[in-house]
Amino acid sequence: MKTLPIITQTARNFSQTIGSQVMTLITVSLSVLIFSFFSLVFFNLQRSGVQLGEFIKLIVYLDQEPTQTEKPLLEKQIKGYAPVEKIAFKSRQEAFQQLSNQLGPDRDLLADLKPDFLPPSIEVYPARNLTALGNIKEFSDFLATLPGAQKVQYGREWIERLASFTQLVRLIVYLSGGLLILTSTFMVSSTIRLTVVTRQAELEILRLLGAESIYIKAPLFLEGLIQGIMGSGLGLFCLHCLYKWVQSRFNGQSLLDIVAFSFLPRSMVALIFAASILLCTVGSLISIRKFLRV
Amino acid sequence: MERISPKPPIIDFSKVSKIYPPDVIALREVSFSVQPGDTLFLTGMSGAGKSSILKLICAIERPSKGVVEVAGHDLTRVSATQLQSIRQQMGVAYQDFKLLPRHSVAHNIAMPMEVTYTPAKTIRDRISYLLDALNLTSKKDIRVDKLSRGEQQRVAIARAAANYPPLILADEPTGNLDPTTTKLVMDLFEQLRRAGTTLVIATHDRSLYLNSPHQVLELAQGKIRSHQPANIPAKSMPGEP
Repeated sequence: MKTLPIITQTARNFSQTIGSQVMTLITVSLSVLIFSFFSLVFFNLQRSGVQLGEFIKLIVYLDQEPTQTEKPLLEKQIKGYAPVEKIAFKSRQEAFQQLSNQLGPDRDLLADLKPDFLPPSIEVYPARNLTALGNIKEFSDFLATLPGAQKVQYGREWIERLASFTQLVRLIVYLSGGLLILTSTFMVSSTIRLTVVTRQAELEILRLLGAESIYIKAPLFLEGLIQGIMGSGLGLFCLHCLYKWVQSRFNGQSLLDIVAFSFLPRSMVALIFAASILLCTVGSLISIRKFLRV
Repeated sequence: MERISPKPPIIDFSKVSKIYPPDVIALREVSFSVQPGDTLFLTGMSGAGKSSILKLICAIERPSKGVVEVAGHDLTRVSATQLQSIRQQMGVAYQDFKLLPRHSVAHNIAMPMEVTYTPAKTIRDRISYLLDALNLTSKKDIRVDKLSRGEQQRVAIARAAANYPPLILADEPTGNLDPTTTKLVMDLFEQLRRAGTTLVIATHDRSLYLNSPHQVLELAQGKIRSHQPANIPAKSMPGEP
C-alpha cells in the first residue's frame, strides 16, 4: 500500500525537474560509456595477449645437447623462476628437420650441409598472461644464465610494445573509472539537491501534514536509483551498439582476424551496471543527508 | 466557569509563554485546555496571540516557557515519529493557506490522505464530498494559483478536514469569504463537530461564535482576557461595534 504513493511522488519529482534529470541521465550514460569502452579495450587487449601468447616463445640455444639426466634439472630451474606453459627440448637433428620443413620446396639448399650443423635448443613458452609478458626481459636474462646457454632469442621489441600499450590502457581504465565515480555521484547529488530546493515548499507542507520521513526521503532515494539504472543501462546499451558496429564494419580485416574481438563478459557488464547504480544511489543519499531536514 | 470532565484534554496549555526574537512577547503565561469533541474560538485583535497558540499546537513553534500538550504528549519532548503521528491526527487551515500553488485543487486536498497511505478510491470519494460541501466541484482540476483568495481558503479548509482528523485548527477560516460561503464552511465544521472532531478556530468574526454554545477564549496582548462560552455575550473588543 505504501509503494504507490512513493512511486507517484517520485514521478512528480522527475516531472518537476525534467531538464536537470535529462542532463544527469546523459552525463551518467556518457561516463558509463567511456568507462566501459576502455574496459572493453583493456579486456580485449588482455585476451589478445593470451591469444598471441601462443606465438610467443623464448629459444635458448645451447652449446651441446643436454643429457637425459640434465633435462629434468634444467626444466626444474626454469619452472622455478617463472610460470611457463610448456618446455620443449630440440636436438640438432630435430632443428635440422624443422628448418627443412620450413624451407619446403627449397629444402635442396640444405643438401650439402651436415644434419648436426644447427645448435640444440630449449623452447620455452611463458605463461599466457601479460604480467609474464611484461617481465619477459628479466626471464630472458635468467635463461641466458642456464648452464650451456649460448644465446636467448625472442620477439623482444614487439612484446615490450604490447606490454606498455596495455599499461597505458589500464591507466585510462583507472582514470575513466575515477571520472565515472565523480560524475555519477556529483551529478546525481546535484540533481537531487535541485529537487529538494525546487520542492522545498512542498516538502515543508508534507512535514506539517505529518508525512513519515520515508514518504519524503524514499522518492529522492528512488530518483538516484532510477538515474543509476537508466544511466548505466543506456551507457552499456550504447557500448553494445558501438561494439556491433565495429564488428560489422571491420569484419574480415586483419587485426580482428588475428584476435577475436569480443564484448565484455556478463559478469563484468553486471559489475559496471551495479557499480553505477550504487554510485548514483550514494549521490542521492549524500544530498538527502546534506540538504533535507525532516 | 470550568467544566469538570473525566476525559483527558486533547489540548492543554500550562503557563505557556512565547517570545519571538529579539523580545516580542506573543503569549504570557497562558493556560487553558480543550476537551475532545469541544469547539474553541480564539478571538482578539491582530497580534493578540491567536496564531501563536495555533502554531504551538501544531508544533511549528516551541513555547519559550510552559508546557503544551496535545493528546497527552508534551510537544517539547516528543520524538520525530511521535510528532509525525500527532500531525497526522490534526488538520490545519493556515492563515496563509500553505497550499501548493502549481498543483490542482484535488491534489492539494489529497495530500494529507496520501501521506497516510489512504486508498485511492477513498481519496477520490472524500475529495468529491468536500468539494461539493464547499461548492468547489467545478474547480477540482484547476491549479490553486488560478483561484481567488476565497476559493484558496476553502481548499485549505477542505485539506484540513480531508483525513477525518480528530483535531482541526483553523486560522481565520472565513477571513476571505462572503456570508454565503462562510455558512458553507461553518456547516462543514458543525458536521465535523457532531462527528466528534475537536475544533480550534481563531477568528475576528464575532458572528461565528456569538450565538453558539462553544467556548470563547479572548486574548489581548498575549494574555487571556476572558474565557467564556459564546452564548454569554462577550465584551466588545476595542475597535469593534
